[in-house]
Amino acid sequence: MPEASVPVYRKNFRPVRWLGRNWAVLFLLLELAAFGLFGTNFFSPENLQNILVACLPVLLLAMGETFVIITGGIDLSIGFVMGFATVICAKFMLLLQAAGLPPGASIPLAALICLAIGLIPGLINGTLVARLKVPPFLATFGLYGIAYGFSEIISKNTPISGLPPIAGQIGNEYFFYIVPGKAVSFLVKPQDLIPEQMRSMISVLPILVVIFFVFVAIFAFMLKRTRFGQHTYAIGGNMDAAVRSGINVPAHLTWIYVISAFFASLSGVMFVLKYVTGRADAGSARMLDSVVAVVIGGASLYGGTGTVKGTIIGALIIATLETGMVNLLIPSHNRYIAIGVILVLAVLIDQFFPELVGRGE
Amino acid sequence: MRNRGAAAKVLTFIGERWAVLFLLLLLAGFGLLERNFFTIKNFSNILYYATVYALLAAGETFVIITGGIDLSVGFVMGFTGVSSAIIMRDMHAAGRPEAACLLVGAVVGLTLGVIPGLINGLLVARLRVPPFIATLGTYGVANGMALYLSNGFPITFLPPRVQKIGNSFLAYFLPGKGFTFFHRPVGLQSKELRSLIGIVPGTVLVTAVVLLVFAFLLNRTRFGQHTYAIGGSKDAAIRSGINVPSHLLRIYILSSLFAAIAGVLYVFRSGIGNFTTMSASYELFAVAAVVIGGASLMGGKGGLGGTLIGILILMTLENGLNIAGIPAFYRYIATGLILIAAVVIDQFTPERKAGGA
Repeated sequence: MPEASVPVYRKNFRPVRWLGRNWAVLFLLLELAAFGLFGTNFFSPENLQNILVACLPVLLLAMGETFVIITGGIDLSIGFVMGFATVICAKFMLLLQAAGLPPGASIPLAALICLAIGLIPGLINGTLVARLKVPPFLATFGLYGIAYGFSEIISKNTPISGLPPIAGQIGNEYFFYIVPGKAVSFLVKPQDLIPEQMRSMISVLPILVVIFFVFVAIFAFMLKRTRFGQHTYAIGGNMDAAVRSGINVPAHLTWIYVISAFFASLSGVMFVLKYVTGRADAGSARMLDSVVAVVIGGASLYGGTGTVKGTIIGALIIATLETGMVNLLIPSHNRYIAIGVILVLAVLIDQFFPELVGRGE
Repeated sequence: MRNRGAAAKVLTFIGERWAVLFLLLLLAGFGLLERNFFTIKNFSNILYYATVYALLAAGETFVIITGGIDLSVGFVMGFTGVSSAIIMRDMHAAGRPEAACLLVGAVVGLTLGVIPGLINGLLVARLRVPPFIATLGTYGVANGMALYLSNGFPITFLPPRVQKIGNSFLAYFLPGKGFTFFHRPVGLQSKELRSLIGIVPGTVLVTAVVLLVFAFLLNRTRFGQHTYAIGGSKDAAIRSGINVPSHLLRIYILSSLFAAIAGVLYVFRSGIGNFTTMSASYELFAVAAVVIGGASLMGGKGGLGGTLIGILILMTLENGLNIAGIPAFYRYIATGLILIAAVVIDQFTPERKAGGA
C-alpha cells in the first residue's frame, strides 16, 4: 500500500494495522479468555504456571527452529533429535548411577554428556546443508530417520526407566512454597502440614521454567544484539549479499544447525527431568508444534524475518491450547487438528496481509 | 582433456543409474549372505509389504515433479483407513451383507481421501501457501481426525471377509496338482495346504495396475507433460497456456487419493483400521523413495519407474535386515542415509547436457 494514499489523519492511528501486527498476541488473549470462561480454575496460579511448563518443550525446540527459519532453512529433525537426547540422557544417568556416582553428580553430568552428543546431529545437518549444498529440507529429513533409528536401537524400543528419583524432583518442584498465614519455604515442601494447609499451599516458580528460560534469554540476546544475530538475519534476507559482504556463510550456517540440535537436546534433558524417563518418540509430535510456533511468531519460511518474542508467543498459544484442553477434559489428540488449522491460518494471514503484518515496510 | 571427458561420462552413467546398481547389489549381497532370500515366498513378501509404500510414493512423485511436497500422505492414509474400517464395522454390526459393507467402506474411504487433497491443493494453488506448510497443516489435521474417529484404538471386528480378500493371491500353485486362479483349491489336507504356494498377492496386483495406469498418465498424456512443464518452469507453463492452479489442485488431490488407496488397501490386508503413529514416518519413506528414484525437489525431474526402484531398495533392505535378525529400527537409519546419499550423488553427478567435462 503506497504511503501517499493513506490520509494524514489516519496515519497516526491505524488500528487495523496494529491488529494485524499483533494478531498472535490477541489470539493468545482470546484463547486465555475463552478457556477462562469455560474452564474451571483456569486462572489459578498453578494452572498459569502449568502453561509455562507446558510451553517449555515447544519453546525450546522452536528457539532452535527460529534461528534455522530466519536463515531461510528448515530443520525437520528436531523432534527425533529430542527423542534421541532423552534416550542418551536417561541412559547415561543409569550408567553413572551404576558406576556409583551420587545423583547430585550423575544428573548434571548426564545432562552435559547428552548436550554434547546432541550437537552431533546438528553438525551433520550443518555440514550437509552448508558444505555439501543439500537442501535443508532433505538433509534434516534424513537425520529425522537416522536419529529416530538410533534412539530406538539404544533404548531397545522401550522407555528407559529406573532413573534417580531426584531427577523428577528437579523437574517437578518449585522454588517457593507459600502456605498462607504460616510459612514460606524455599525449594523443599514444608513438612508436617495438615491436609487443609496442603491444599491451600501455593507453589511459585517451577524450577524447570527458570533453568530453561535462562537459555532462551541468552539466545534471544544473541539473536537481537550481537553480530552473530545480525549475520543470521543477513543470510536469510539475501544469501548472495551476505556472501559478498564477507560473512562466512557456510561456517555460520553450520553453527545455526548446531544451535538447533542444541536446543532439541535441551528439550530432551527437560523431558527427562520432568517425566523421569527417556523414550525415542518423546518429541515426535513436537516438530509440527515448533514450526507452528515459529510461523505464528511472524517468521517467514523464505527467511530474513522472525523474532524470539514472536516464537515465545507462538509457543504460549500452543501450550495454552494444550493446558486448556486438559482443563476441559477434551481428549488431547484433538490438539493436532487445532494446531494444523492454526498453522494454515497463520500462513494465510502472513500471505494476504503482508502490509498488515508489517512486512511491506 | 579427452580422458577427463571419458571419466565424466562414466561418472554420469553411474550417477544416473546408481539406484538400479545399488538395488542389484543389495539383492546380490542378501542373496549371498542369506539362504532364504531368493525364494518365491520371500520376494512375494517384499512386494506384499511394498504395496502401501509404493502407493504413497507414487502420489508423492507427482507432487515432487511439480516442485512441491506432500507431507500429509502418511496421516491421510491413517485417516482414510480408519474411516473406511469404521463404516465396514458398523455396517457389519447392523447386519448388512458383507459385500455391501466392504464396497461402501472402500468407497467412503476413497472419497474422504479426496478432501485433504482438495484442501492442500486449494492452499497451494489458489492461496499460494508454500506446499511444505500447507501439507504440514493437513498432516496435523488428518492425524487428529484419525485419532478422533478411532479414539486412539485400532478399529477391529470388521467383516471377516475383508482379510480374506486382502490376503488372497492371483494364483495358487500346488506342486503335483497344478494351478488354480483366484481361490484356493478346495478340499485340501493340511499337509497339502502347507506346500501350497500363492503367486502374486492380490494387493500387489491392484497396486501394479494402479501404478501402470498412472505411469501411462504421467508419461504418455498431456496431463503428464503439463506436470513436468510446471515443475520445470512455472512461468513458462503459465505462458504456454497451462491452467497451473487447476493442474496443481488436481495433483494434490491425486496424491491424497493415492494415500487413500493405500489406507483402504491396508485395511484389507490387515483386517483392522489403524491410525498412523507419529513415528511411523511414512512421509519419510515416500519422499526418500522418490528422491532415490532420481527426482529433484526443485521439480521437473522424476518418474514412477525410478520411484518404484526407490521403494524396492528400501523394502529389500528392510526384508534383508529382517531375515538377518537385525532390529527393524535400523531401516530408519538406512533410509535416512540413502536419502542423503541420493541427494549428494545427484549433486555431484556431472550433467549430461552441460557439455561433457
